[in-house]
Amino acid sequence: MEPLWIGVSAAIAIALPALATAWAQSKIGPAVAASMAEKPELSTIAVLMIAIPETMVILGFVVSVLILLQGGG
Amino acid sequence: MITKMSRLRILGPRDRLTEVLRAVQDLGVLHLAEPFARAPLEPAVLTPRLERQRHQLSRVLRDIESTLELLRPGPRLLATPSARPSIGDFARWARMAQRTRRTAEQLDLRQTELVEERALLRKYQHFFTAFRSMLDAAARWPNTTAYHILLKTREGEALTTLRSSLTGVVGEEFELYTQPLSPSETAVLILVPAKIAPKVEHLMADAGVEEIPVPRLYGTSLTSAIPRMLERLEEIPRDLATVGQHQSALVRSVVPELLRARDAIRDRLAELDAVVLAGVSPRAFALEGWLPTTARESFAKTLDARFGGEIAVSEAAREEWSAEEAPVVLRNPRLLRPFEALIRLFPLPQYGSIDPTPFVAVFFPAFFGVILGDVGYGLVLGVMALILRSRAKPESTLRSIAEIAGACALFTVAAGLLYGEYFGDLGRRFGLEPLAFDREEALVPFLMLAIALGSVHVVLGLILGVVAARGHPRKAIGRGISAMMVLLILAALLAVIGVLPRGFFHPTVIGILVAFPVLVVVEGLIAPIELLSTVGNILSYARIMALGIASVMLAVVANRMVGAMGSVAVGVLFALLFHLVNFAIGLFSPTIHALRLHYVEFFGKFYSPGGVRYEPFRHWTSPMQDRRA
Repeated sequence: MEPLWIGVSAAIAIALPALATAWAQSKIGPAVAASMAEKPELSTIAVLMIAIPETMVILGFVVSVLILLQGGG
Repeated sequence: MITKMSRLRILGPRDRLTEVLRAVQDLGVLHLAEPFARAPLEPAVLTPRLERQRHQLSRVLRDIESTLELLRPGPRLLATPSARPSIGDFARWARMAQRTRRTAEQLDLRQTELVEERALLRKYQHFFTAFRSMLDAAARWPNTTAYHILLKTREGEALTTLRSSLTGVVGEEFELYTQPLSPSETAVLILVPAKIAPKVEHLMADAGVEEIPVPRLYGTSLTSAIPRMLERLEEIPRDLATVGQHQSALVRSVVPELLRARDAIRDRLAELDAVVLAGVSPRAFALEGWLPTTARESFAKTLDARFGGEIAVSEAAREEWSAEEAPVVLRNPRLLRPFEALIRLFPLPQYGSIDPTPFVAVFFPAFFGVILGDVGYGLVLGVMALILRSRAKPESTLRSIAEIAGACALFTVAAGLLYGEYFGDLGRRFGLEPLAFDREEALVPFLMLAIALGSVHVVLGLILGVVAARGHPRKAIGRGISAMMVLLILAALLAVIGVLPRGFFHPTVIGILVAFPVLVVVEGLIAPIELLSTVGNILSYARIMALGIASVMLAVVANRMVGAMGSVAVGVLFALLFHLVNFAIGLFSPTIHALRLHYVEFFGKFYSPGGVRYEPFRHWTSPMQDRRA
């Protein structure tokens, strides 16, 4: 495959999950802040809730790296 | 591990209930159970007199706490233990609390007023000082009216316009003085004969120029107010010192007594709350509660010695209570104890379930170390942990955090040696070679390591799940088959990529095909979804590799800045800054993700939250006293 398309594929593999993660965190963040204002004891759950969507971008990163490696980049 | 608890039952004559409760409170080890109501006993209720007393004591306690908050006595003043107070003591404390609260509030109000006044005067001090020098000019002009204006420098043209407008209206019959206040502000004083003042006011109103208002508190004109305001600025510190002296005197004279009163009232309120937990008949009472089994003998002996044969202490059979009711005490070896702080962030495990502290103590710092994995960062973290530990009080949360950080630092240094990293690739320039692999290049081996760690962690979670479900054979078998299937899937994958001999592939696939229907029969149709979710959980450990790569790449970029900036000094500065940022991210990110891997992926397999916190009925002690004890 053309090196250009390998690069573009790798970029898409991380860009889309990154956008999805950002969108999910933008929804979770305010909700978590509001919950913590009322119940500070929820802080642990709050941190977890924010960290959960990061799985998407992390897996996107892994896939992106694999695309680059498999593509000979 | 979770400490073994015993449920004790205390029976005795009703008229000795108060004394027994006091004795139990003195011993301070019994966590009282829900109200004891079993025929012919019914839950005790407070008499109207005791109900009134509770209401009054709650009010007095609020007074005392508000007063203490206002006076802020500091941690050095501690209540000295006193004999059990009488009704007279409570009445005296109520009067004292009310009186002291009033005085403390007045002093606090006065202090606030003075601080606000000083802040206001300081804010305008430079402004009034500027006008003061110009007021000497005003004094030389009898029968004049003075206008004080603040002009912004960017309105410099406005000054010229103002001057020409004044000339147009009143001719040459005015004086205009200016004094720069700051680069952006200029104080302006306009003096005009009193008879033409209305014309000037009209002009100013048309131009939208506003005069500086004079605070009424200090006089009607700026001429009389400025000296008074400057005088007040000198007086306020003296007034504040006087208020401070009164507060200190109040702290010395009443606070020790108020602290004693607070502790005694809390004790009394706890005692009244405990009364309603007893079950009573016209002649007898029964009380139940939990305590660590190790304390059972001494507790029973002490009560027996105090009340002779009047009361009976017996242990309830295990069948009489459920695990959900029993309070939970975590007790681990000294080395593992700091990690209990990470468990306490989560709801406590149920009594009789598994305490995950020992596993967290191994895997949390290991994950942290594998992600950060740098000798340099590890050493910095270790030094920070040592400093924090030396400053934290024993048994405090801060001390636990320092000790966890110390363990993480050790694992970070060890992983750094495996990767050959010392502040990124800086170590390579001094001959530090990786013992295992280079994270910069060997991305796939690092991914395999992360997935392998995940497999071990998740399978361990599943095995613990089997142990936790030992009372429910079907559930235990289901979890066991799940664990076995995960292992078979991993073995098949390893055989495919050649890590295991190819001959393993077919037996493992046959094993999966046999185990799958059994799993569906045992666990139901939800089993395949749960199995997929478990495989997803293992893949989630890829974050260890992703975060690790990000960490090392940032460190490498930081090192390359030295040569990329043209100037070595600027390059070193940028490199240090970048390393600092990377280190900060390196502390935060692995912590969050290692915690998440534990709470979501690992705990999800076996953890039973919902444990009741062990809160023995005892004398109230301040957190400071608790720490010193």
